[in-house]
Formats: sequence, structure tokens, C-alpha cells
Amino acid sequence: MRRINFARIAVNVVLAAALPLAAGAQQMESHIGNLTGHSDAGRQLYFRYCWGCHGPHGNGMGENEPWVTPQPRNFVAAVFKCRSTPTGTLPLDSDLFNTLKRGFNFTNMPSWAALTDQNRADLVAFIKTFSPRWKSEKPGDPIQIPPEPTLTIGSIKHGQELFQKLECWKCHGQEGRGDGPSASTLTDSNDQPIRPYDFTSDNRSKCGRTNQDLYKIFMTGVDGTPMPSFADVVKPEDAWDLVHFLRTLQYNNPSPELTMWEGTPEGKAIVAAKRVKQTYTGSGVKP
Amino acid sequence: MDVRGTGVVGGRFRLGTTLLGSIALLVVLLFSCSSASALPAFARKYGMPCSSCHEAWPKLSPFGQQFKDNGYQMGNDRDAPIFQNPSYWPVTFRITPQWHRESTNKAQVDGVDGVGADEAKVTTHGFDWSGLDFHTAGTLANNISFYVLPSSDNTGAFHFESVWARLDNIAGSSWLNVKFGKFELDNLLSEKRILTLTNVGGFYENYHFQPMVAPGVPEASYSFGIGDNQVGIEWMGHSKDDRTRVSASLLSSNDGTPGLPTSRGYDGFFAASQAFQLGSLGLQRVGGFAYIGEAPTYFQYTLNGTGIPGTGIGNKGFQRYGLIGMWYIKKFDITTMYFHGKDDATLATTLALTGAPPTPPTGAHSPTWNGALFESHYNFNPQLILINRYEMVRMSQQVFSTNPGNLGNVDTLTFGVRYYPFISSRAGFAYHGEYAISRIRGASPVTLTDLVSSSLLAGIDFDF
Amino acid sequence: MQMKRVVIAGVVVLAASALAVANPNPAGGTISGKVTYEGTPKKMKPIDMSKEPSCAKMYATPPTGESVVTGPGNVLQDVVVYISAGAPDDAAPSSAAVFTQKGCRYIPHVLAFQVNQELKIVNEDQTSHNIHPMPKLNREWNKSQPPGTPPISEKYDKAEFIPVKCNVHPWMHGNFAVLKNSHYAVTGESGSFTLPNLPPGKYTVTAWQEEYGDQSQEVTISGGETKTVTFVFKAKPY
Repeated sequence: MRRINFARIAVNVVLAAALPLAAGAQQMESHIGNLTGHSDAGRQLYFRYCWGCHGPHGNGMGENEPWVTPQPRNFVAAVFKCRSTPTGTLPLDSDLFNTLKRGFNFTNMPSWAALTDQNRADLVAFIKTFSPRWKSEKPGDPIQIPPEPTLTIGSIKHGQELFQKLECWKCHGQEGRGDGPSASTLTDSNDQPIRPYDFTSDNRSKCGRTNQDLYKIFMTGVDGTPMPSFADVVKPEDAWDLVHFLRTLQYNNPSPELTMWEGTPEGKAIVAAKRVKQTYTGSGVKP
Repeated sequence: MDVRGTGVVGGRFRLGTTLLGSIALLVVLLFSCSSASALPAFARKYGMPCSSCHEAWPKLSPFGQQFKDNGYQMGNDRDAPIFQNPSYWPVTFRITPQWHRESTNKAQVDGVDGVGADEAKVTTHGFDWSGLDFHTAGTLANNISFYVLPSSDNTGAFHFESVWARLDNIAGSSWLNVKFGKFELDNLLSEKRILTLTNVGGFYENYHFQPMVAPGVPEASYSFGIGDNQVGIEWMGHSKDDRTRVSASLLSSNDGTPGLPTSRGYDGFFAASQAFQLGSLGLQRVGGFAYIGEAPTYFQYTLNGTGIPGTGIGNKGFQRYGLIGMWYIKKFDITTMYFHGKDDATLATTLALTGAPPTPPTGAHSPTWNGALFESHYNFNPQLILINRYEMVRMSQQVFSTNPGNLGNVDTLTFGVRYYPFISSRAGFAYHGEYAISRIRGASPVTLTDLVSSSLLAGIDFDF
Repeated sequence: MQMKRVVIAGVVVLAASALAVANPNPAGGTISGKVTYEGTPKKMKPIDMSKEPSCAKMYATPPTGESVVTGPGNVLQDVVVYISAGAPDDAAPSSAAVFTQKGCRYIPHVLAFQVNQELKIVNEDQTSHNIHPMPKLNREWNKSQPPGTPPISEKYDKAEFIPVKCNVHPWMHGNFAVLKNSHYAVTGESGSFTLPNLPPGKYTVTAWQEEYGDQSQEVTISGGETKTVTFVFKAKPY
């Protein structure tokens, strides 16, 4: 045992020099509910799990960055996609925490649900050391989401009108397939091509599965991408109508909205026309 | 691994095999097949460093365990091969060039007392290499995963270590996964992911222990190890965050050997575990497992007096039970395991190659034993891990009451260190140093006294 | 408070920031001059607006890109000339800088304003735009502005040149020049600029063009004189 201890000490000394050094040397905390995350602990986890894509300096330039699209998030820029805060503001700690738990569909970012809550809180704290914005700014005030009104056909139809009026289809396409006239030209803030969300592919939109998550996406915008915030132009009650309509575009995903929509002759015809028979490719597109 | 499972009933082994010979062979085979699953193929596919899925390659982290349980899928839409660059091929090779020193205190030698009548200490050392593993694994489509592992010993002789396909998340439920083929049992403490490599320390004693029938006489009528990959079908379910895991398997009673060499019997394996967060210490996990097996004692048909493969009957039972805890205290962790085994008396004592039902010798008992394992790690950082393991096996019921009470008891102590000079998403590379020593009571070939073996190894373990 | 003069041509009437204001310090010196290029600038291609008929129909001939706009005598338009060092930071004026989307173009193409000055973004088109400025130092936001909605009001609190785009209409491209002091100008058709009312001192004058980058010159003002500075950018043909 004694010999082993010596060996341990010797290797520690060698390793201390080899340990990766993080860009952000300052201490940060995160607060999610009654959890407190510490950046010191988060750093250990970051250099185990995250640096391959996000890079040792947190700038999204990890060794795998050339092979990852969309590019890994740049924590130095501190622009985050899934927030409950208005466009251009920093997200809440809980937004980042939930993102870590959920992962991002359609990207390389997996769910980190296998880690403990404490681990994720620590990681959030460490991520915040990369940008001075976390020192100089406060996260935005979360947008107010009124309670969801009762689902009606009128609500879906009004949502359908809004989809036209707000020109959501310019990118997302009339059928929500992500194939609108502008879709092919879209680039993100790194000038990399990016696809608009295809509602027909799945029920998992980028920032979560619930109606509230859908509400938040277009009211906060997806910062760093072409998806703008509609908070200034859509009234909260209208926003829920839009949510109800958007659900009917996800025709592969059973929902009360889809059921009600298919209960009308108009909706039934629209959904039936979309249901193209396809072979099972493993791409998630089911026949 | 397959030769262990070939079994006496298949007729390839004879009693003439000395105990030392079989132990040496066993040890060589075990070593050559230490096929741990650590796949840069996955790292390349997902662009993640080894350290994401491995606390220290090849030992899994909770994230890696979840990835595996989810059918080698992240669940983020990059899983199906249709999303990969067409030139991507999910293959990984692993091999370990090394220098090692092996020493046995009492080897059977010719001497003054006659041919093979003496014992001597035999020590050898030199440069060498391990067997080679070809891991091919991944997904065939969304929620259909596979693993094929042709594995060679260091002479280049191949066998199939793993051959399976798995339907994952059936009906969208993480509780419904079905695996079919040859696979590693759902062992929380995976022998395929063992962190030690030597002939003495490179396997778990408890996973392979079989009692001695009498001094100098091994249990010979069947061969089994919980650490061996088995052939069958497995249902596995887990909670989305992988905190709760359960599995049940129906297995062919052939210890994973191909060609149905012995019986038409089936074994069952059951495992369950639960992880929980203990403050800021980390994720703790406790679990249990049970293997209920059977093996034939004679043949239904013979040809020229030798049993026809696959027609073994007269199945007798054997059981293995275990409780396991994996305890994390920040960077230090310790795995504790309690193990209990029992073999049927007939199975333990009788070697039948013929068509006649055997009768166990009078006074034969069903042997039982208990085992314990303590494996601790200090994971200094993702690049350095220190390993210590102590295993013991204690007989509680000898086959014959004339046996010494401690006959066959094993103690093994292993120390290891693995240093990964770089961590990348393309290859695994570790400097490996290890020393292991074991003592088996009453197992020396001539004097039937304690057999002590030790291994020292320094090598470079890599995969790509 | 502070004065500024911006020389802008054409439609610029809309740009409130461009209006000259009263001069409280007539005794100051002036830096004026011209921005020209040498070599061959790349040819601006006509913009295909066919995907947005409501805008396309506003043009008899398709408008061209505006990343390099030249004039007779090799002058360069849309160059921001400003005092990058030597002048103290100024408080933001109370007037708003106005950025207008009309005919699926940005007017002006380059809008200069001060740190913390109000920025008003107006949509005069019959189509939805999204305004997506892409700063590196300031906050990055991205807002939708359907036709008939009120102007968007924003501010930037750090000096920076910010490219602006509309993701829906990929040809739409503009720039914000967020500056620390009130001594700046954007060149118009004549390529000339004037920075008046400079107290005596040593200044660094910088000219910024969105494709060609920036150039600086040192100028010392000792009284009420007018100093002439010429910036010559090397044009790249691609």
C-alpha cells in the first residue's frame, strides 16, 4: 500500500501540469430551486463530458467542432437558444439546467439525464464562467405565460390565420415541413446553414415537448438562429391559438389539438393530404 | 472464453488434464478474451471524448451506462446510421502490447521423486501481446442496435465473443428492450469492462469460481462463469434516467459456446439495481442478481460410446446469487459485492460421457460457498485512475466432509494504475501497470498445499 | 447635446440621425475629406426578389447589392468616418436613429448612432421581416416585425460595428455603427465627410467600410482650422 501511495503522489505531480486549464478562472454559482451549483465542481465535469465539442475554452471549438452541425454552443458569446427570457437576454439558470437534462433533438447534444441534478447544476455554474456577461448582466425577466385557454376549433383556426399573417410559412412551409421559400437560404449566427423545424418529423421541438415549451419558443425566439421573437407582435391569447394550430402540423404526434382538427372536414382533408406513405428509413419518419 | 464452456460432456476434455494445466489454460483464455467494450467507433460517431462514457476506459460512467442501456443511442436524432457520413464504419480494434512476469510457487516438475512428482517455483517474464478484439457495434436503424465481436487470442485464433441484435424502446418504452444472441449478462460489475488485465487479476474470481471436488480434483462435469458471455434472449428495462434497471434472460445452458455442444437445457439470469443520489457525493447504486442454471449429467444417445453433442439430459442445478453496491465518495469509489454459489452434488462430482445416468459417490454433498469483492478506485481525473481489488471465496460446504475445510478457498489482491496521456474522440490509449497475487488453498498439483500465483504487467492498452 | 453632421444622399430624409444640429462650439476645428478607392471593386449583382413579389414589384429594374457602393471619381459611399481615439465619450442624444425596411432593403444601408442612443426600426413593407443584428460584444436578439406593427425600439450599450440581416429575405443586409462619441459621418454620393466642432487635440480618425475594413490617420487640431484627410481603400475585385 505504501508503495502505491508514493506512486499516486508522483503521478499527481506529473498530472497537475497536464491538467487542462479553463478559460474562466472566476467562481460562479448557479441556483435552481434549492440546488446550488458550484463552478469548481462543474469544471471537473466539463473536462470529462463537454470539452470534446464545446472546447477547453468554452468557445464551441472543441476537437469535434468541424464535424458537428449545428456547431457546438459558444459559451463565450453567451447566446442561448432555449430560454424563458426575452430575446437577447441571458437565460435563467433553470433554462440551462433543463437544457442539459433534455438535450437538443436534431443536434449532437444528447440528454444528460444520467447525471445527477447536482452535477447539472455544477455544470451550469461552470458554463457561466466563460462569459463576462454573467457578471455584468442579469438574466432577463422570464416572459409571462397566461394559463392555457380551453382548446376550441376557433382557436385552431385563428392560429392558422396567424401562421399565414406572421408568415411563419416563409421558413417552415405551408404544411410545416420546414420547406418554405426561405428555408434553403437560412444561416445561423455562425453563417452555417440551418434548417427550420419540420413539424411533421416529430413531436419533440428543440426546446421541449409541452405546449408551454412551444409557446416559449416563438415568444422568446431561438437566439443565434433565424427564428425571431414574436413577443412584440403576438398577444398572449393569440399565442395560445398559434400553439394549438402548430400542434395540428405535427400529424405524427397524437394530440388533443390534432384530434379536434381532424374532427372537422377541413382539418381532416388537410391532415389526410399530408399523410404520405413512406418506407421506414430509420430516420424517424414513420409510415 | 469458449473453451471453458466446451465442457467435459462435449468430450474434448479428459480427466488427465492436471489441475495446474487447467488453471493455466483457464487463465490464458481469460486473459486473451478480456474483451472490454470501449469503442472509439462510438466516440467518432457522436463526437464525444472517451471520458464522457467511461469513468476510466473501459469502466462506464453513468452517462455511458445510460447510452448502453438505450441501445447505444443518445436519443438525439443522430443515432440511426442514416445520419452518419456514408464512409462511417462502426469498427474498433483493441490490443495490448506488454511486458509481463508470471510466477507460480508450486508448478509440477520432474525431480528426484520421479516424473512429475516434484514441485518447483516457476517464474517467467518477457515481452508479449494480448489477443485482438474487433468490436463492431452500433445501430442498424432507430432503436435497433447490434454488437458483433470477433475476438482472437494472441495466436490469432478467433472466436465470437458477442453476437447480438437488440430491439430498443419497443412501443416507445424504455422498459421494453429485447436482446437476442450471445451477450454479456447484465452484470453491474462488468468483467468485459474490467480495469485490470493480468493473468491473475484480469478477471473476477467470484464470477468463475467452481469448487474442488477433492484435493487435486477439479469440478469437471460442467463449466460455467457468470462473467462469460451467454447465448439467449434478454429483456431489459430501465427508467429514462437509468436510475432503475431490471433485466431477465433466458439462456441456453452451454456457457456461451457455439454449436449446442451439451444440453437442451435453459438457464435464467435476473438482475435489478437502483441508483440514488446521496447529497453531493454522487450517484450510488445498489443491486442484486441471480443465476439459476442447470447442466446435463449424461447423454440421451451415444455413438461409439461417446455422447452425441446436444443430447445431454439428467440436468442438475447450480445457482449463483449476488448483492452489489457501488459507492461514490467524490473521486473515490468502491464496489462491494457479496456472492453466494451452490452446485448440485451430482453435477459437482460426476463426469458422464455415456448414456447411463450417473450416481454420485456416497457422502457427496452439494458444495456451497460465499464470496466477497471490494474494488476501489481513485479517479484522480479522467486521465488517471488507481485501482485496488480484493476478492475472497470461502467454501461453506465441501463436497466431501473428508476435504479440508478451506480446500479451494481463494484470495486475490490486485493493484493497478491506468494513465491516459490524452483523451480524444478518436482513439483510446492507456499506460497500464498492474500487480496481482492470488492464493488457492490446497490447489498445488503434487503436495496439495497452497498455490500462489502472481502477475506483474506493464503495457500499452489501446484501441482505435 | 453634442453636434454632429452626417452627409447622406438620396432617400436619407428618413434618417433622423442624419440631421445636422445646432453647433454650440463654433470655435472648434474641422476634419473633412473624401473616401476613395483604387483598383477595381467587385461588381454588385442585381438582387432577385422574385420570392417576395410585394417587394419585387416596387422596382422597375432590380436593385443591386450594397456592400460596396461607389460614385463618380472613384468615391466610396457608406463609409463610416469617426474619431476612434482622442475624443471623450459622449452621452447619447435624445433623438432616435431610424432604420427603415422598405422594398426589402435597409435604409440607410449603414446606420451610425451612438452608444445608448435610441434605435428605431420601422417596417414600411407589406411583408414580415425579422431584424437580426449579429453583434459580438452586445446582446444578440432577433425580432419579428410583420407589416403594420409599431417600430421596434432598441439600444446598444457597447461600441461595435454590427451586421444586420433578415433571415426571411437573405439578400437583405445592413450595418449598425455603434459609436462612442458624436463625431462621426457616413459618406454619401460625393464620398466626402465633415467632422466639425472638434476642440483642440490629437485625434485618430478612422474610416470603416464593411468589406474593406478600416483605416486610421492621426490628426492634430490646434484651433479653428479645417484639416483635410483622404482615405484610399484598395478595392478587391472579388
